Formats: sequence, C-alpha cells, structure tokens
Amino acid sequence: MYRQAKYDEPLIFDLSKKGRRANIPPRCDFPREDIKIPESMKRTKLPELPELHEGEVMRHYVRLAQMNYCVDTGMYPLGSCTMKYNPKINETIARSEKMMYLHPNQPEESVQGILQILYELQVALGNLAGLPHTTLQTPAGASGEYCGLALIKAYHDDHENKQRDEIIAPDSSHGTNPASTVMNGMKLIEIKSNEDGRVNMDALKAAVSEKTAGLMLTNPNTLGIFEKDIIEMSQIVKEAGGLLYYDGANFNAIVGKIRPGDMGYDVLHFNLHKTFSTPHGGGGPGAASVSCNDILEPYLPVPTIDYDKDKDYYFFNHDRPKSIGKLHGYYGNVAIALRAYAYIAALGFEGLQHTAEQACLTANYAVRKLEKIDGFRLSHGPSIPRKHEGVLEATPALRNYDVSGKDIGKMILDHGMHAPTVYFPLIAHEAWMVEPTENENKDTIDKYVDAVEIEMEKARKDVEYAHHAPYNATVSRVDIGWSVKNLVVSYKILKEKLENGEYVP
Amino acid sequence: MTEDDFKGHPYLANSQKDLDGMMEYLGIKDVNDLYSDIPEEIKFKGDLDIPFYESEYALMEAIKVKLSKNLTTRELRSFIGGGVLDIYVPALQDEILRRTEFYSGYTQYQEEVSQGSLQALFEYQSMICELTGMDLANASLYDWATGVGEAALMCARITKRNKFLYTSAIAPNREAVLKNYVTGAKLSLEIVPHDSTTGKMDITKAKEMMDETFAGIYIENPNFFGVIEDEIEEIINDAHEKGIRVVVGADMNSLALMKSPGEYGADICIGEGQTIGGGPLNFGGPLLGIMSMKYDKRDIRQLPGRIVGITITQKEGERAFCNTLQTREQHIKRERATSNICTNEALVALSCAVHLALLGKEGYKDSAETMYLSSHYVASELEKKGIKRVFTGEFFNSFLIDLKVPKSKKKEFTNFMLERKILAGIPYSFDGENYDYLITTSYLLCEDDLNDFVKAIGEWRN
Repeated sequence: MYRQAKYDEPLIFDLSKKGRRANIPPRCDFPREDIKIPESMKRTKLPELPELHEGEVMRHYVRLAQMNYCVDTGMYPLGSCTMKYNPKINETIARSEKMMYLHPNQPEESVQGILQILYELQVALGNLAGLPHTTLQTPAGASGEYCGLALIKAYHDDHENKQRDEIIAPDSSHGTNPASTVMNGMKLIEIKSNEDGRVNMDALKAAVSEKTAGLMLTNPNTLGIFEKDIIEMSQIVKEAGGLLYYDGANFNAIVGKIRPGDMGYDVLHFNLHKTFSTPHGGGGPGAASVSCNDILEPYLPVPTIDYDKDKDYYFFNHDRPKSIGKLHGYYGNVAIALRAYAYIAALGFEGLQHTAEQACLTANYAVRKLEKIDGFRLSHGPSIPRKHEGVLEATPALRNYDVSGKDIGKMILDHGMHAPTVYFPLIAHEAWMVEPTENENKDTIDKYVDAVEIEMEKARKDVEYAHHAPYNATVSRVDIGWSVKNLVVSYKILKEKLENGEYVP
Repeated sequence: MTEDDFKGHPYLANSQKDLDGMMEYLGIKDVNDLYSDIPEEIKFKGDLDIPFYESEYALMEAIKVKLSKNLTTRELRSFIGGGVLDIYVPALQDEILRRTEFYSGYTQYQEEVSQGSLQALFEYQSMICELTGMDLANASLYDWATGVGEAALMCARITKRNKFLYTSAIAPNREAVLKNYVTGAKLSLEIVPHDSTTGKMDITKAKEMMDETFAGIYIENPNFFGVIEDEIEEIINDAHEKGIRVVVGADMNSLALMKSPGEYGADICIGEGQTIGGGPLNFGGPLLGIMSMKYDKRDIRQLPGRIVGITITQKEGERAFCNTLQTREQHIKRERATSNICTNEALVALSCAVHLALLGKEGYKDSAETMYLSSHYVASELEKKGIKRVFTGEFFNSFLIDLKVPKSKKKEFTNFMLERKILAGIPYSFDGENYDYLITTSYLLCEDDLNDFVKAIGEWRN
C-alpha cells in the first residue's frame, strides 16, 4: 500500500527569523550611502521575504517535494497530456554552461552553436510534420495554436478575404482550441461529433461557407480515435476556401508513422513537452513548435532562424514584412527545445516510430482491460481501435453504485498511481481519459487495472468509502469550492483574514 | 519478431514478450493492426532525415560539440539587460530544481497528491505580492512580454473599453508582443511620448491623452531607457478618475530600492521573474511572466492563468492548497475563458521562490544595491571621459550611453567590444540611423570588468 509523505509543513514565511541568511549574493565594495533614489520613489519598507538559513530552505523544499506525485513515482496516465518519462540526460545537457549563459541579445556570431541546434530541430520537426517551415518561438501548446490560427487569419486577410473569420472545431476539441480562436478575434463554429466519436461529415459540410477561415482538428481526436475521413474533410474545407490546422497534442500516436502535412493540414503545432519528452514542470514550462507549408510561411513570427549554407552561418531573419509579429519576448523556450532535440536524437526515425507504436499498444491494452471492470464502459465506437489514448465512461458506476469517475480517480491515488484525466472530453460522460504512453510496460498496466478492480469492488460494497477517498495521500479529499468562496490566494490575504478573526485552516 | 531479435531502447518500456502479450490480449498479430483504420495513402512509407546517436555518451558529446561554438556571458562580460539578466543560481536552487517530484509532474489536477508544488506556488505568489505591493498574483505567465499583452486584454475586459495607452519608453520586443496580442480583440493602441531630456514619460501629454475611452495605461518603471518614472503617481490619480486601469511593468530587482507599484497606486503589476532568480538566461527562455494585482472581487475573475489558493478538505481543520477560480480557464470556459493559457511556467515560478527564499530580505536588497552601484560607477567614470548618458533622469541599473554609432559601423562596434570580451548592451536608435547603447549591470561584474568596459568605450570614442 502507498503512503504519501505528510508533513505539517508551515508556510515558508512562518519559518522566518530575523537576521538569518541562506545565501550571500556577489557584492561589490562601492559605498552603499551613494544610493540615491528620488524621494518620491524610495522604498521605505523592505519586502517581507523569509529569512532562513540554508539547511532550513533545503528541508522546506525537500519536504514539499516529498508531498508531490510525479512521473518518476509511478504511472501517470493523464489523457491528452502525454506524461512520458523525461530522460535525465536531457536535464544534464540543458545545464551546460554553453546553454545557460547565453543572453538573447548577444550578437549572432557568438551563439552559432545554439542557433545550429535550433535550426536542426526545426528541420527535424518539419520533416515529421510534413510541413517544411518551422518556428520555435511559441512557449506552449496554446501559444502554438494562437500562432497557427494567426497565420491562417493573416493569409486570408492578405488574400482579400477579411470576412473569413470562422474556425470550425468539433465538440471533442481541447479547451485551448476555442480559447485560441477567440483570442485571434475569430469565431468558433462548434460541430457535433458522430456516435462513433468522429467528425460528422454532414455537420462539417453544413458548417463551411465563405466565412470559413479553417478547420481546427486534432488527429487522432481526444477520444483517441483516428479521423479516418481526414482527406475528405480536407477537401471539403479547401473547396470552401478554408485551411486546416492540426492540434499536435495527440501527435505521440502517429509520430513517424503519419505526417500531418500528408493528411492535408496546412499548419500545426507540436507540444515539445508531450511527444518530445520535455518535463511538464508541475504546469510548465513547456514549448511548442509551429510548422506550416509554403503559403503560410510569409506570415511566421519574427525572427525566423535561417541558415546560409555558403557561409555556414546561422542567423535571425527579421526581414519578414508580412509576419504576424512576435509571440514571445525572445525566441521561445530555448532550453526546452534543446531537451526535445536531445530526445529526438536519442531515438532517431525508427525509434520515434516505435514510441508511437508502443504508445498505441499500451493505450489499447489499458482501455480494453479497464472496460471489462464492472462500473466502466468504453465511450464511442466500441469496435474502433484507439490510438495513444482511450476514453472510458464511469457512467455504470455512477448509475448503479453512486460512485463517480472522480471518486474512482481519488481511490486510485491510494495505490501510488495517478488518476487519468477526468471529465474530459466533454462529449463523454464521467470521462476517464487514459494515456499510459510508451513509458509503461504490460506489468505496470496490469497492476493499474488490478488496482481499479480492487477499488471498484470496495466501492460497490461501501459507497461512503468511495466518496471520501483518498486515504493515503498527503491530505484528505480537497474541497475546491471553499477556495473559490474565500479566495485566500496570498500570505498577505491570509494574514488579513486571520487578523479579522475569519476562519482559515 | 522473436525475443532474441528484439532490441530494447532505454525510452521504451516493453520487451518483446510484453508486446506479444498485449497483442494477444487485443487479438492482433502486428502492432500496425492498430493503424488499420487509417487510409493507406496517408501512411508515411519513406525514411526521414532525423539525427540519431545510439549511446547516451555519443549524444552528449555530439551536442557538446555544437554548443561549444557559443560564447557565454561568463566567458565574456555581459552588459546586456533589456528585460533578462545574467544571474547566479545558487547550488541549492538547482538541487531543488532537479527534484523530479517537482519537474516531472504536471498541473495539480489531483490536488491530494500534489500539495508540495501547490504550496510552493502559493508561496511564490505571496513573495511576488511582497515585492510588488499587490494583494495577489497568478502562478505565472510565459514572460514579461506576453504579460503586457495579457494585461492589456484584461484591462479591456474589466472596463469594456477598447483603447489602450502605453509609453514610448517600452522595450521593442514587449511592444511587438503587445501589438500582436491585442489584434484579435481589436484594441487600438496609442503612445505617450517621453521627454527628450529626462527620458521620463511626458506627464502633461499623458494627461491630455487620457480620457474615458481608454481601458488602461501601461508604464514601465524604471522604463526601457532605464529611467525612473518618479512622477508616475500624478498620472495614476488622473487615470483612476477616468476609470483607466494602471498597469506597471516593473524591473523586479529595482523593487528592493524603489517604492512598490502597489504602494503608489497601480492596479496591476507585471514583470520578468527570470531576473530575480527564475533561472539562467537560457538564450531567452524559459522565462517567467509575473502578474499581480490589487484585490477586487470582480476584477480577479478577469485575471488570466492559474491561481493557487488555500482551502479545506474533508478532514476537519486540515489545510490544503488547490488551483482556484478555475472557471476563468480554458479547460472549463473554452471560448469564454480569460485567456488560452494552459501550460505556464510553474517550475520557473517555483525556482524563483527558492531563489528569493535563499536571498531573504537582506540578500534581495544587497543584490539590487550592487546592480545600482555598478551601473552608477560606470556612468560616472564614462562622464569623466566626456561620454554622457542620453537622458538625465535618475536610473536604477540601466542607462543609454550617448554613442551615436552610425548604422554602418554597428557591426564594427560589436566586434570591437567582443574582442575585448565585452557584450556591449542593446543598440537603440531614435532616428533610425545612429545607435545608442542600453547597458545594464548585474551583480556578476566586478570592478575590473566595469573599468575594462569604460576603457573600451573610451577607446572606441577615440
């Protein structure tokens, strides 16, 4: 049985004692009295940063670390997130002095090494995309979406089709798709999926018009089902004058096996923190690449990273009059891109194909085993093979035993395993979206399935047990609602509330 | 394939026996059967040119060889700032950053097993509030530049107005991102000019321009030219009277010496967290977009990004942390979300918190003082040689040197300084022909470096 560490670890501010130092920054001997900030702008009271000694800072964060589940603890099958192993060599390489200590405004000739790697990564990703032009400026998947849609919009505007401001996306799409559409000033046309979870072709035909800017579609979709009619869809959209955007969140399913460019897509983003193994960082940093075809190339963000073969010289190309502009202060999350490069180069083309194959195999194996458990059923198209993920519905568990998908997720935590993504996609009920990745072997998946089985059995006998799980995590079941009502979102607010005699745990 | 033919790869978990076992369970003979529903014509049959190094050692060496062509800010002496800065990351900080518990998890969707990173992010938010004088902060945006864009959109949502004002002393890269971010929402942008002597924003002009159609005004302080906006308070009262939200882009190190934006009345404070310990320069990314604001029950719902809060659990009296106000976010609200941001810079935020905890109150002040004093030393030594600053306004650790290097000689100047192992700042031109240089001092430059810099500039001028 799993027992997660639990410390009653105080807030770091409450550990503070005046005068203690944990680190002495480099300093110079200039006389301090020479500091003359204009009176109206002078700080009179220093910020209340905690004062600890070095060992105590270490203990605080080690304790916090021990109260955190991660990929290296155990199975973490969060659907749509591709929680694969983060190779340790990538962490070591990213800590090269020749990487860490480069200022983004350094002259080009002093950063040829990193420019070469970024350029080679662009080429490799472009090859995998089947789309030749790539930028690495977008620091996350959502930023990649925003960029790709902006390219589509710029293309239409440039071709005197300003009225094209509608992006079509299925109701199974990631939440970032509609949000990125709106951020681009475009309208979202959501179309319903078929019973088998795929895009409804009639709905698509009905949705396209002279206002269509494009179709935004992840493939395989969020149910892990491949949109087999993609060629026909592409024709429908293109005949209507629209373009196709590929949301690469699910690319791990087909990396090296199918190139989005060959499916008719014009532009895409890849999440380097999903398919290409860079750490998720407890929420970030991630990184995205955006690849596109020739017609969208003129609009890519500035600068692009180009290569002059004759001079063997890598350079930033700012001379891009049609560019959509900038999406990040500099060139995106370069140190993450370096890790992705190392991952790709450790696998090569064949290795990447094997990751896709094993990702699909583990996902199918997991969902086909899980669907047999009393309480679960597979959502949509029961006979269709899944790709890198699959979505189960805990509807029978809820209906027959009053046990929700969330409850089962919480019970699994007690086994030292992470829950899948729950309640997404929205077109499934009590969704349990499972994506084991190629990092899980058969034994681990068997253990996971066994754990679900064991917990369901307990839940069927004792519904209260299910409603109060987990029992062995750092804290008991968390009530998010209280946090929304009370909004204790900083130490400052906490102190004020306590001073006013309000209850805060 | 038989077990004897099978060749494992370190990143692939299954043996041939595992693969066979799973395929047997699924009733398939070949893993490619799982792709049987995909039309043949779109399957990729060729080979792709992808780099490949079989052993970890070979991979590391190959990358090292490429990276060796870089010259680092440690081999050279960096006088470049502009929003990011070379900093020292203490040994302990990297030790924590390499804790896989922190870096290999994801967003805390299962709060019960993710209390460690949630508490760390709550503490990060709280430390940022201490610095900026604000009441609350989000758990990160991508960087300062995208923060400007998000702040403009936020002001527009709050006020339901569609014009936004900013000052001309804004970093060009942040201005570029701002322009991009507001296109979709169709905000129109207007610019308050700066005073050509002091480098401060033109207060009179700003007051003239501000009217009740503007959603917000963005002011950098110290501004991109390094100049301290010491009359900013005058603007703020005026803006508030007209219902305009005030966004301040602060140099986060300067806040050790300068009054906090919260104290002088700004509504939203943004900035770059890399410079206060988020992490090494990394050629400009990952960075850490700081966003903090005054508490307002209504406005907080327009804040983009994740926010960690304290909450209760099913066990009486137990304290826990969770991501709160999630109904602002894309995974719930989709097209009605405050932003499309999902993956953020959480680990950099955590890293920044560790750094600030290590510095403590005094260390934070010490580093800022060193930055201030080094740059003022350079300025006064240059002045002794008759080389002036472009602007007369007071500064923190950045200023524009009046160099007027003609466009045609820019490259020559860069190389001249590089030969002397100096990265000479960011070129900036007011007339499109001649370039002044924005220099910034970190605490990593010692007196010799500063003297060498002054000497080199003197030589160039002669």
